[in-house]
Amino acid sequence: MLSPERLALPDYEYLAQRHVLTYMEDAVCQLLENKEDISQYGVARFFTEYFNSVCQGTHILFREFSFIQATPHNRASFLRAFWKCFRTVGKNGDLLTMREYHCLLQLLCPDFPLELTQKAARIVLMDDAMDCLMSFSDFLFAFQIQFYYSEFLESVAAIYQDLLAGKNPNTVIVPTSSSGQHRQRPPLGEASVLEGVEASLFSQCLENLCDRHKYSCPPPALVKEVLSNVQRLTFYGFLVALSKHHGINQALGALPDKGDLMHDPAMDEELERL
Amino acid sequence: MKTTMSSLSAFGDSSIQTPSKSRIRQGCHSAGPNVSGDHIHLASSSMPSFPILQRSSEEKILYSDRLTLERQKLTVCPIIDGEEHLRLLNFQHNFITRIQNISNLQRLIFLDLYDNQIEEISGLSTLRSLRVLLLGKNRIKQISNLENLKSLDVLDLHGNQITKIENVSHLCDLRVLNLARNLLSHVDNLNGLDSLTELNLRHNQITFVRDVDNLPCLQRLFLSFNNISTFESVCCLADSSSLSDITFDGNPIAQESWYKHTILQNMMQLRQLDMKRVTEEERRMASVVAKKEEEKKRESHKQSLLKEKKRLTINNVARKWDLQQHRIPNIAPNQDRKVSDSSQDPSQLHGSTVSAFPEETGSLDSGLANALQGLSVTDTHLVEVDGDTLSLYGSGALESLDRNWSVQTAGMVTTVSFTFIEFDEIVQVLPKLKIKFPNSLHLKFKETNLVMLQQFNALAQLRRVDQLTIDPQGNPVVNFTLWKYYVLFRLSHFSMQKINGTEVTQNDMIMAERLFGILAHVASSELPQYRMISILGDARKKQFRYLLETKGKKPGLVNEENNDSKRLVGENTNRAMLNYTTRDVYNERLEEIKEKKKFCKMYMEDLVKEATEINMKNEALQKLWPQMFIELVRDAVIEIRNKNSYMKLCLQQITDQK
Repeated sequence: MLSPERLALPDYEYLAQRHVLTYMEDAVCQLLENKEDISQYGVARFFTEYFNSVCQGTHILFREFSFIQATPHNRASFLRAFWKCFRTVGKNGDLLTMREYHCLLQLLCPDFPLELTQKAARIVLMDDAMDCLMSFSDFLFAFQIQFYYSEFLESVAAIYQDLLAGKNPNTVIVPTSSSGQHRQRPPLGEASVLEGVEASLFSQCLENLCDRHKYSCPPPALVKEVLSNVQRLTFYGFLVALSKHHGINQALGALPDKGDLMHDPAMDEELERL
Repeated sequence: MKTTMSSLSAFGDSSIQTPSKSRIRQGCHSAGPNVSGDHIHLASSSMPSFPILQRSSEEKILYSDRLTLERQKLTVCPIIDGEEHLRLLNFQHNFITRIQNISNLQRLIFLDLYDNQIEEISGLSTLRSLRVLLLGKNRIKQISNLENLKSLDVLDLHGNQITKIENVSHLCDLRVLNLARNLLSHVDNLNGLDSLTELNLRHNQITFVRDVDNLPCLQRLFLSFNNISTFESVCCLADSSSLSDITFDGNPIAQESWYKHTILQNMMQLRQLDMKRVTEEERRMASVVAKKEEEKKRESHKQSLLKEKKRLTINNVARKWDLQQHRIPNIAPNQDRKVSDSSQDPSQLHGSTVSAFPEETGSLDSGLANALQGLSVTDTHLVEVDGDTLSLYGSGALESLDRNWSVQTAGMVTTVSFTFIEFDEIVQVLPKLKIKFPNSLHLKFKETNLVMLQQFNALAQLRRVDQLTIDPQGNPVVNFTLWKYYVLFRLSHFSMQKINGTEVTQNDMIMAERLFGILAHVASSELPQYRMISILGDARKKQFRYLLETKGKKPGLVNEENNDSKRLVGENTNRAMLNYTTRDVYNERLEEIKEKKKFCKMYMEDLVKEATEINMKNEALQKLWPQMFIELVRDAVIEIRNKNSYMKLCLQQITDQK
């Protein structure tokens, strides 16, 4: 607890990193909202319950989207809650459309934005035929990547576009092999005679991004691993690879492995009781 | 052809006929020896085949005006000489094919050619005195060549092949016209027969009758065994004041249930129908029945008007809905029409309100009130109660739930149908629906913009729903695979029987629980208590707010509400967590919270500032403390170095303090 690194950070930064303020603010806000009800059993109990639920990951249930998105822990909790509640849908084998998954999301968060779900669906369907049906596990893992790392993915998309256009966002000096590229700006259509971008170049850019990025990003080592397997890859190909990577999933810690996705003995027991 | 005596004697046997000693002898160039008889007239005729008739002068004197040539096997009319004063001529039962050789008999009054083979009416143009012409049972195809027979009194053309009534308009003295057993398909062209009293049209193929009202004297009309099936086809009869006797038997119309009274009602002047006297009783019955029919017709006319109005309104509402949904571009003229129409609204509304609420006017009988269908018809919305169904079209219709519905009407309603109304708006009036129409068990939604499963949560507040029908048109939610299961899950406390017409099976219920049971469990058990209370509290708050708003709270009602809320807490609390707030209300709430959030943020910032200041001070103290401690210790040690002087100093200090 009293580790030296913890004390090394100046105050605000420490608080910001742990998102302590977010939770404190939200707690006080909830207190204000429900004054009459909470005054019945005391403020101390309220705070206990609140932070307990934060720990357990149930604090995001039926909350507004701005809160759910606020911290990585919230996002992970939401993913886990979604998995828990609708695992049965997946188990049943139903294939649903993007809109229906969005509907299920809305059951837990009434103002969840459609764009996020659409982006997640694009990952699964490779930006093709948006009305296609998707399996629960495909959607869930793609959604995880999209939702948890949404800001990171936006930056990645920008980098990808730049690379496609022949611009290297990194440094002025470019390895001689691709020196021909960076001065010209060939029209997008011609740039990909070969699809996508060079994996190694991409990997370099992403490494820099991870260093700079304030928001969470996947463990750089794993990202490198993903990119080292291929020569070239497209944007959605990259995302699909991310979503299917076990290591990243485990690093996130929200969802079980793909193999165990349908297993949840505790909930199954509850279900039997109903 | 020579005739023989025997045939002549046969003449004598027939009844009316003249005891004839007359003979008919065919005239020929080679005038052969005369057959017999005293008076033989050798006729030289230009036509080789015509026989020449001769009578004895005795006969001529006895029966000077009549001549009977019945059953004489005549194939042609014989030439009749020297009988110019003849008044009656009988050619019955022969084989005559053409009327000829009688032009000279200009005094003829009675001509009987019944049962011959005549194909055409001809040769009568000189018989200006003719009064009775009997041409029955011949082969006449057309009525013609009667121009000069202006004195004709009786014309008998029955049993021929006549297809059309024509060329009779000049017979202004004709009293009896017999056209039975012909091929007539209709009757018209009857003008000019100003004296006609009897018209026999039995056994034809007549389908309609016209112009009978142009016959001022017609008393008897026989239409038996024709093809008349409606009264409209003979409606001119109603206008004939002279008719007293009519027959329709053997027509399709006579088989109809309304036959007798329709005829009697429309022809008050009739004395005999189908050869039976018309009694006063029958006439009375007929008028009663006719009045009832008139009423019915008026009613159905009114209904069809109402229906048309309804249809127009629904179209209008649909159009408005489509505009709202941005399905069709907004055209300016539409707006103008609505403005001009809305100015009509007040009068329409008043007009229909009076008819719609007999309870308020208190005069109409309940039977009629129930029969009235359209209750409120304006151009922008429509409310209709049809027995057990309440139909609402257009969002304006929702206001009608505020009206004072009679207990009887409201109690009968079991189905409520919403069309062209946003579901979010319907949600807001559901509490009213629950109270005003307590027996509504079946809800139907069409074009109501149901897009999220969450919206079904709103239906949980109703008392009971047996059946739910969500029309795919205008309700995208139906496209989801899981929507039915979600409905069954969320509204499980209703034990619904049917969804969209299909029965709900036990398997469906089990599947619904299996799919969404965990959601309910999570919602109820994993939420912190204060959240549960606040969510439940919201629902209860809404109900009580509505109650407070409605004026004239009945005590019974309050108890009901308490029961409901008790039930809410007892049953299915886990589901009760799943609420639906309409988008607008939700956004409103988020707006409200923004203020609080800002305050919280500021408050926390203050706290943080305080905490960091304290923390800084603490850290600073931590840094300085070792130094300070050493100095403290050093000072103390220096002070105590000289024991004696320290003791003296302390004592001094104590005495100073006193």
